[in-house]
Order: sequence, then structure tokens, then C-alpha cells
Amino acid sequence: MIRIEKERIDEFIRTLMETRAVYAPALDGKNTMFAPVEDPAGIDHNIFNTDKSPKEIFFPHSEVLFEYEGEEIKKVERDVRPIVVWGLRGCDARSLRLLDKVFGSAWQKPGNDMFEDPYWKEKYDDAIIFGTACNEPRSTCFCNWFGSGPHDDAGMDVKVVDTEEAFILDPVSEKGKKFIGSLKGWAEATKKDLATIKAVREKAEGLMGEAFGMEGIAEKMADLFFKPVWDDIGAKCVNCGACAFICSTCHCFDVQDEGKKGKKGKRIRIWDTCMFPLFTKEASGHNPRDMSKDRLRQRFMHKFSYFISNYDEHLCTGCGRCVSVCPVNLDIRDVVRAVMTSEA
Amino acid sequence: MKELRETVKSLLTEGKVDLVIGWEKGTMPGASTPVFIDTAEKADSLIFDSTCRNNLSVYFTKDRRELAKDDKKIGVVVKGCDSRSLVLNITEKQIDREKVTIIGVPCNGVLDMKKVTGKVDGKEILEFTDDGERVTVKGREFEQTFPLDEVISDSCVTCVRRDAVEHDLFIGEAREPGSDENAYVEVEEFEKLDSGERWARMEQEYSACIRCYACRNVCPSCYCNVCFVDQNDPQWIGKSPEITDTMIFHIIRNLHVAGRCVECGACERACPMDIKLLLLNRKVAKEVRDRFGSVTGTGLENKPAMADFKEDENQDFIMG
Repeated sequence: MIRIEKERIDEFIRTLMETRAVYAPALDGKNTMFAPVEDPAGIDHNIFNTDKSPKEIFFPHSEVLFEYEGEEIKKVERDVRPIVVWGLRGCDARSLRLLDKVFGSAWQKPGNDMFEDPYWKEKYDDAIIFGTACNEPRSTCFCNWFGSGPHDDAGMDVKVVDTEEAFILDPVSEKGKKFIGSLKGWAEATKKDLATIKAVREKAEGLMGEAFGMEGIAEKMADLFFKPVWDDIGAKCVNCGACAFICSTCHCFDVQDEGKKGKKGKRIRIWDTCMFPLFTKEASGHNPRDMSKDRLRQRFMHKFSYFISNYDEHLCTGCGRCVSVCPVNLDIRDVVRAVMTSEA
Repeated sequence: MKELRETVKSLLTEGKVDLVIGWEKGTMPGASTPVFIDTAEKADSLIFDSTCRNNLSVYFTKDRRELAKDDKKIGVVVKGCDSRSLVLNITEKQIDREKVTIIGVPCNGVLDMKKVTGKVDGKEILEFTDDGERVTVKGREFEQTFPLDEVISDSCVTCVRRDAVEHDLFIGEAREPGSDENAYVEVEEFEKLDSGERWARMEQEYSACIRCYACRNVCPSCYCNVCFVDQNDPQWIGKSPEITDTMIFHIIRNLHVAGRCVECGACERACPMDIKLLLLNRKVAKEVRDRFGSVTGTGLENKPAMADFKEDENQDFIMG
């Protein structure tokens, strides 16, 4: 564990910037998000969960896959420097790990040759994730529903704890250990630091609301598929995509060509969501998820049933962003409660 | 609140309505959530205060039209702006006036939560109370009280029709509309900019758009069976959050609701990126008022400006 005094944090970030593209929480206009760091002094180390989730660092809203001109295919020039993410919260670190199960090589089910996504891998595989433990979780936080907590380090390479005086960097993964081991000129964490970490951790955990039991939700949801509970849950949903687009784990996309067909243009992949009617509309004009409640049900089935069948985990980490932005306050925690207390 | 609940209970028990759409307490401080009340017992959860930000008329349009099927009689709780949406939807033959019971509630403006959190330097609010004139917020180690007027949505600041313009029942005493002489101050400021500056301002606002369409989906005036952005054969518009396409979406939506927007501000409050969506809408509303003398949704006998023609109306944009 190394210790970086608060006044030397810019110096530390600058050393990262020498060889890597560093992303950190920043305010852009009225909203907070993870942005490439140009000047470490511009990083706000106090931003809690950013308004926009960090998934866009590795899985941008709109990503050019390649460009074409006639028959010729051109690869897009990218920043090839490895990525460092600074200031990521535990829920988001775990979200990236979940997305790596989908796009990367973190998960191979026996007998199932899952494909790997080169666009994700070339960014995520070499990335170093510095996760910041939460000392003051919010009332919208529910990471503990998923067995996690404000000081959980899953999905991080290096866990960072803010002790008021200093940032204590605790390497978690092999990659993180190698990286921290290679650093020179930083002091080791003191006994006092360790005691502070323990204290802030206990305080943070005490601020979390009670965890709701999620056991058996996958089966329960599947059993309830045709039940009227979805009419009750879905009645107030206005079917926009705000929840999905600010979600740190929603990852559906569309692929489109922009430009002149067959001549010159680019192929892009763009975030899409099951909340939009076009998402499942078939060429015939038929839409198997015609009504808004069908689409709402799909989003929650994916998070709490299908993803568990495919990857053994919930596709939600309890970051609470959707709770904050939903225009009708359709709270994902209420959805889970309604499902778990319904009769199949 | 008590009177509202009792009114709804008797409507349901007397069989005058089958369902009432209102608001109940939400899951966060300062939040309410729409609720569908179909039995008298459930009516005790109804509330009305500055947290009631949604325009509930939206539940009569889009694929929630099923609500109004089967000859169901529906009651709906409305603020002034929401009642104008209902009037618009009735004049556009989307809602049968006979089947809807309009319950007006006295509105003093609804919250802009960004303004509230701004008052407490972004600190987390854990408790919120509103007595109709002042709001009090509490968090860890702080408590603050300020006038409601300072934290209401921009659309409420300039609103001159706070109470339902059309209603069957009213909780309390409905106030008469005020003068809209000074209602468009910020639009007038915007008009003073040259076209380049206006464009730059709009680009700056819309560049934050994530194309989630929350603005469109909470809007009771935006109810095309298939929105042009949801068509792919032909595809009218690119799907990426690139500024050109984003501007096309917002400007077309803006023109689609010309003479139909009631300036309720639900779009702006729904926007997860806090984009000032109402400015262009209000610019258009001001044009409609000045050119055609029409204020949307203020009377069942008035057709929406774009669906009406009077021989003596202003035609200088055609005749030159």
C-alpha cells in the first residue's frame, strides 16, 4: 500500500499521464462524467457517482468501427495509449467487470464459444482501474443488495481510500500489484492510515440502507413473466431511454452505416435500448414487444433473470443512477420488491 | 391533501370514475411518482405539493391510450399546465371530454431539483418538506429553509395560469389567469442575439443530449403513433448523439408541437442532462400568441393555432 499526500496528487496523476490516457471525473457543462485528463488540477476528487456512467470510456455512445470508400475498408486511428481510470466508484468498477463478461474474455461458459469484442478488448484489457472507496454512500445507493459494499474492491486493479490527509493506494489485482510495485518515490501507508481506513469503512457501511434479499429472483421473474404484476409496475413508465443510457451496465447497441451507401462512409455502433419500440420491430412491421410494459419487462428480465442464466450475476450493481434520473420515479428497488413479493 | 383524498374516494365509491391518476410520495426526498388509484382505499396515498412535477395528461396518449378504452371513466389530478394539455388533447380528439373527470389542484409551482441542490451546494438531501410557501431540506449535519418561489421550475416562474383552466372539480378556489405581458422575458433576451449567437447557444445546450427521448416521452403533446426518430425505412435521422442529428431531433420536435405546447416544462424536468429545452418551445409559443392571438389549451372551443384558419389572421409570412 502506498500513500499519496493530498498536495502531491497532481504530481501522481502527471506520472500516470506520461505513458497513459487518464480518465477521471469532471464537470462538462452541467453534468459530470469521466473525461480525458488534460490538467490534473481540473480533476474533482469529491464528485460522487458521475451523472454519466464510465461505461462510455470503453463502450462509447457512438463508436466508429471502420470507415469505407467503395471496396476499401479503413481502420480508424485511435489513441493507442493504455487507459487509466481514476476515481471510479466500486459499483462502476464492478459494472465494467460485468461488461467484460459480455464483450471481453473474462467469462467463458464451458462448451459455449463466446466471441470477444476487439473494440472493447483493445481498450479494457490493458486498462488500470483505480477505484475510489465510498466514504459517504447516498440514499440511492444499494450496492449491498448484491453482496457488495462501499469499500468493495471487486473489479478494481488498485483500490484508493481517501483518508482526508492522503489517498492510500492498495493494489488488488496482479496488474495493480505490478503497477504499484513499479512506482518509486512514494511512502508506504502508515499504521495510522490503516486505522483510519478501517474507521471510514465501518462508518460508510453503517450508512447503507438495509440490503434486500435477492435470492431466487431469476426464477421468480421467469415465473412471473405473464403475470399482471408487470401491468402494475409498468403503468407509470413512459418508456424513455434515460435509465438505460445512464445505466453503467446496459450495453445493447445498434450498428449503422452513416454516409453514402456503397460509396463513402463509416460503420458505427450506437447505444440502443429495449425501451425503444424500434429495438425489436421486425421487417414485416410486427413488433413482438409492442406495448411499453413489454419493453419495460424486458429491461428488468435482462438484468435480473437472463443475465443470471448466462453469466451467473445480476446485471446491476446498485449505483442508483436510474433511481435519480427516472422522470416518473419508477425506482428499480421497487421493481425488485414488487417482483419478490408477488405470487407466481 | 385531505380534501383531495376524500374527493377521489367519493368519485370512486359513487362509481363516477373507474380510475384516478394522481401523484403519491416518491422514493427520494423531493420526489413524487404517478399513481393509478382504482379503489377508495388506495386514495389515501394521494398527495399534491411542489414535488408533483409530472404532467399526468401524458397517460392518455401514446400506447397508454388503452387506459381510455372499454368506456372507462378516468379521473385525473391536474395543475394549470396539465389541464391545458388535457384541453389540447380533447380539441385534438385524443380524449373524450365526457369520459374524463378533471380534478384541479391549486399549484404554486413545482420544484426544479437542481435549484434545490444548488441551494445546499450539492450536498445530499435526506429529508424534504413543503408547506406550500417554504421548503425545508435536511441532510447530514445541515438544515435549510427557503421560499418555494426560489426553487420552482423556470416554466412555473413565468406561469400565469397556475390553476386548471378546465375542470369538473377543484380542490380549494381556482385563481383567475394573470397577465402574460411579461411572461416571455427570457425569450425576448434570446431574440436580441444575432442568428449566429442563437445557434451557438442552442448547440451548446443540445450538445449534452444523450438521445434518450425522455423529453418526448413525458410530453402529452408528443403522441405520434410512430415518431419520426423511430422509423428506419426510410430513416429520417442519424441515431448517434452527433450534434447535427441531435439538433434535427429537437428542432423538428419543437416544430411538431408548435401551437400545441402548453409550456408545462415536463420535458425540461425529465431531461437527465438538464438541457434547457423550454427556451425554443417558448419562443414558438410566443410567436403563436403574437401572430395568431392563440394560447394553447386555454379553451375547449379554440382549435389549436396550426389546425385553424381565420380570414383576418396575420399572413405576412406568406404574403411578404
